[in-house]
Amino acid sequence: MSILEVTGLKKNFGGLSVLKGIDLTLEKGRALALIGASGSGKTTLLRCLNFLETPDAGTIRVNGEKIFDASDPSFKNERGIRRKRLHFGLVFQSFNLFPQYNTLRNVTLAMELLAREHPDYKQNKAAILKQAEADARAILERVGLSDKLFSYPHQLSGGQQQRVAIARALALSPDILCFDEPTSALDPELTGEVLRVIKSLAENETTMIIVTHEMQFARDVSDTVIFMDEGSIIEQGPPEKVFGNPSEERTQRFLERYSAS
Amino acid sequence: MSLFISVTMNLLEGFGMTCLIFLLTLVLALPLGLIVSFGSMSKWAPFRILPERSGAKFYNKLRSFRPVSFLIRLFVWVIRGTPLMLQLLIVFFGPGILWQTSVFSRFQATIVAFVINYACYFSEIYRGGIEGVPHGQHEAGLVLGMTRPQIFFKVTLMQVIKRIVPPMSNEIITLVKDTSLARIIAVVDIIFVGMRYVTSEALLWPLFYTGAFYLIFCGILTLLFGFIERRLSYFKV
Repeated sequence: MSILEVTGLKKNFGGLSVLKGIDLTLEKGRALALIGASGSGKTTLLRCLNFLETPDAGTIRVNGEKIFDASDPSFKNERGIRRKRLHFGLVFQSFNLFPQYNTLRNVTLAMELLAREHPDYKQNKAAILKQAEADARAILERVGLSDKLFSYPHQLSGGQQQRVAIARALALSPDILCFDEPTSALDPELTGEVLRVIKSLAENETTMIIVTHEMQFARDVSDTVIFMDEGSIIEQGPPEKVFGNPSEERTQRFLERYSAS
Repeated sequence: MSLFISVTMNLLEGFGMTCLIFLLTLVLALPLGLIVSFGSMSKWAPFRILPERSGAKFYNKLRSFRPVSFLIRLFVWVIRGTPLMLQLLIVFFGPGILWQTSVFSRFQATIVAFVINYACYFSEIYRGGIEGVPHGQHEAGLVLGMTRPQIFFKVTLMQVIKRIVPPMSNEIITLVKDTSLARIIAVVDIIFVGMRYVTSEALLWPLFYTGAFYLIFCGILTLLFGFIERRLSYFKV
């Protein structure tokens, strides 16, 4: 059974159709790279999966459980959506760290707030909070930031901030971790450290969807590549196939433009 | 020398009233301003339920009409667009003219007028502070499974406070001096006492001397706001 199954996903903004019926499946432990020109709908697709946008049509299934169906209004109430969001994690292009909290607190905040909803929170509060902090420290060590636990976001470089953001998303153990152009806001010399972290996640079988303009990275890290254009999936397949021998003309033209620049 | 002491004591008594107007206005207008700002940002559009129709310009304007936001903004425009002195006079004398009965005492009328006026000014500061927080902060909270109240209190609020401290301190220092308008309806504040020396004893210096009281009070506030700003300087927004 696929961990993620999306069928017929559509999204319009006003009269503009941004997603024109997206079907995709993703297996557990695999990395999916989404490539395509700006405005092709990649980011909107990620935002729909994270319920930052409400799709106008289509269904989303995680581990076989239907978590969204546009034709059924009962999937649109806010409480339900909030829990379902937690199947997904999202790393933003612009990091969106909370500026008033240090690195450690950025990671533990949501963990602690969610822990409050556990039935045994009141009895085991101290132990739960201690565990959350220990988990957060372990994750921050994984992304190489053990020496920045008490730094505030404005004291960190862009690359470090993005690694905190990755740790923050990982801390909630999402089924599928989404990256929305994670290196597009970074200076070129800082992209490497972020890409290395994502790559190590891929090697540890984290299920991921990565929207990126880094073609070499997409090729290295992904198990499947999807090329999107004008709100539709034009081509998908293993990276060697899509990059090495694309069968669609639009994919070829897109990749040529990239290798030329 | 004894004259100086008696003038000082009398002015201090008036200054007590000045401080009372200041504090009551502040305590009431700060929360009311927040409510007004929520009103002016209200997205409630009851005509949304009408079916969408392309091409009909006026019809679509009506569909997106937000009555709460519109009325609150209209009210804020009127309050900010007319002198506080006039508003004081209207609150105090208005009911008498309309219904031949007075509703407020001089002091009550002063507080009502000041609170309404300053709530409107504060609301615009709050609105600027809230709308200035990048939308990404809200979205980051959402994808981390936070509820809307959690996002407001744990993520947005501190950033709003940091943003509004400088304009707020400006406005609050203006309030200290605006309290002197209350004398227009014969509330005995420090300026009123100072004026009494001019008219009944032909002494001008007590009136000028009142300036020292304002100056010291504003000095203390400036130090206080400087302290708050430094306490919030550990992060940048």
